[in-house]
Amino acid sequence: MKVAVGEAIPPFRMERVTPERMRTVAAIFRDPTPIHWDRDVTRALGFDGRLLNQTPLNMAYVINMLMAWAGPTCVRRIRAAFPQPVLEGDSVTAHGEVAAVSVHDGGTLAVCDVWLERQDGVRNLVGRAWVALPADTD
Amino acid sequence: MAALVGHRFPGGTYRIEHWENFLFSEATGIDTPADGIAHPAHLFHVAINGVGTSITEIFDLVGSGDGSPVSIDYYDWQIHQPLREDVTYVLRGGITAFERSARDGSPIRDSFTYEIQIDDPSALRVADVAFRWHHWRPAEEATR
Repeated sequence: MKVAVGEAIPPFRMERVTPERMRTVAAIFRDPTPIHWDRDVTRALGFDGRLLNQTPLNMAYVINMLMAWAGPTCVRRIRAAFPQPVLEGDSVTAHGEVAAVSVHDGGTLAVCDVWLERQDGVRNLVGRAWVALPADTD
Repeated sequence: MAALVGHRFPGGTYRIEHWENFLFSEATGIDTPADGIAHPAHLFHVAINGVGTSITEIFDLVGSGDGSPVSIDYYDWQIHQPLREDVTYVLRGGITAFERSARDGSPIRDSFTYEIQIDDPSALRVADVAFRWHHWRPAEEATR
């Protein structure tokens, strides 16, 4: 797989963030934090009663984009910050762009700027990912 | 609070079952990865639960158990080997850094860095998971 600096990674879109998915993830995580399931809490926090998506789930959308691009075991490192929450009902899209390419342990590593963008253009996640690219088979 | 640097979690093991990989992958919007590969975003809960603690216990430990706000600075996950279903991972880790930011009259921001190492049963390093959370306090708690 050959990539060039500046190349855009095909985006991954989560059409609608739902409470049902948050509840599933809260159960798997054993995460009792009420912002993921209690509308009274999120109303009191100023989010108009909309539930807040788990940040690892936001990270997962970016990882889904990377796995679709370079394979299920491609992610070597991902570092991300979360400047804005993703809320119930949001539509978010993971984006990425190749920032650098290097040879690493005999393989090719793409360093990628990654971000998650809400429907209104607000970025909910910004970060960087190190992605091992599959070898060419030809 | 600074005395918590060096705190070690009990350590422990974690095994990702197929059902949780299936449900979690579905919740992220994709099919379960093939060939027993677990979704990499399992690292968050595998690290916390597998190292013998929980989100609740961490919040209690650093004084956020009363519901005071917690925000996330960053996650930094280094993945040396793919996560897989039905492998019993061995975890250890603790609190590695603390920083307090306080301005007159503003809430205090206590930032803790947590680092957890994940090995496979043969002691091969699988992942290094770091995350930094901001724990917010009222300004009057500055002496704690």
